[in-house]
Amino acid sequence: MKESNLVFTWRMMLLAFFLPPLLILAIEVTLAGDFKGIDSGVSFTRFANATLTAYTLCSLFLLGNLFFYGESRNRPLAPLVGMVLATALGVLATVLFIGQGSMLLENNGSVRAQTIYNIVHMFVSSGAILMAVSVGVGVTFSAITSQKPRSNFVLEEE
Amino acid sequence: MDEMLQALLLFWIPVSMVPLGLWHSHSSTATVSTLRGRSLAFSGIILICLSPWTVPSSPSSAAGHLLGAIIGPCTMLIFGIYLISFSGNVPVGKLPRSDRKIGVLMAIVGFVWLAGMHWWILTPQLSLNVVNPYWYVFWPTFILLISCLASCSAVTLLMIGDQRKSESNTMFILSGLSFSLLLLGLYIDGPLVSGEEFRQHLWLAVADLAGIAVGSLLSILVFALVIYGYERNLAEPKSISPPTDSELKQVSKLIATHIGGEQE
Repeated sequence: MKESNLVFTWRMMLLAFFLPPLLILAIEVTLAGDFKGIDSGVSFTRFANATLTAYTLCSLFLLGNLFFYGESRNRPLAPLVGMVLATALGVLATVLFIGQGSMLLENNGSVRAQTIYNIVHMFVSSGAILMAVSVGVGVTFSAITSQKPRSNFVLEEE
Repeated sequence: MDEMLQALLLFWIPVSMVPLGLWHSHSSTATVSTLRGRSLAFSGIILICLSPWTVPSSPSSAAGHLLGAIIGPCTMLIFGIYLISFSGNVPVGKLPRSDRKIGVLMAIVGFVWLAGMHWWILTPQLSLNVVNPYWYVFWPTFILLISCLASCSAVTLLMIGDQRKSESNTMFILSGLSFSLLLLGLYIDGPLVSGEEFRQHLWLAVADLAGIAVGSLLSILVFALVIYGYERNLAEPKSISPPTDSELKQVSKLIATHIGGEQE
């Protein structure tokens, strides 16, 4: 017997993804009456640092990928220069914004200390993301392979 | 030795050895190169794990300390899931059915071990009662993202999959389990991590994940724009003249000789 499937929508998938943090927020507001755990200033600083670091490191990774792209295009210089500039822009923006003062400094005394902290922090966060994705995909795969084998053919009754 | 130089030699160079080794092992098909790349990455991981002892003055070595603390349970968890997956109904690389029990046991022990780092005596500590600051980054990010991904996977299985209700229920259970761990973390203090600290770091993890998503998407957008700009400015490829009558005749003759089977 065929089960009735839900209609596929991106909104539904996005809602499913954001449901746990939204539920926690709702429970927090209901029980505590306010967002007592959220310090908007600190959260913004973290968000900005994460954005700048992720942009710079991801650009650097994509710059490495351009070498493979160049293999099939007679090694052109133009995209390489473009991506080097994009990465340099990320580095400059990071140094400039952190150097503005206490806005992006998180318990660190200098631009260099904050930059190094951002990079190490990004490694730890990326490790956590990688682990969570591995567990999520792995459990989905193991749930699928744990079922009995199915036949793709429907035998016609004689 | 200067502290900066010490950190460079004993922390940052090992850190760079990991991606370099992985890149080297994947970029060549030769067995020697693959082995050399893997050895380089493995040595890098070992040196990072040793950094709390080799460069204790560097604050970054706390990340090495965390890696050393979580590498055991994480390996058990991932290897357990691998054993469960490939001892099931897979067309290739099937493992013996008995591996399933070992896999379940490994996955459970790995997960309980990680949970024990929050609610039991296993919390990674730099010194007595000083929790590793990166543990506050890893644990909320990991548990929150599992809950989100499992919930998304469960709904996707229901929407796209055909008769995948039991698999979807498994994913809902995983999402619910990690969600319960999040709630327990918020309202029940661990021996070293209080609910208030966990709450602060949970919202920082949300900000962190949002920042990583925005930054990564921006860089991918810039990368796509760079490639698009380059490809658009390329000259049109030269067109060749259409085949002549004699060429067409030769082609039809060749095709005719290769079409048709043997007559019985």
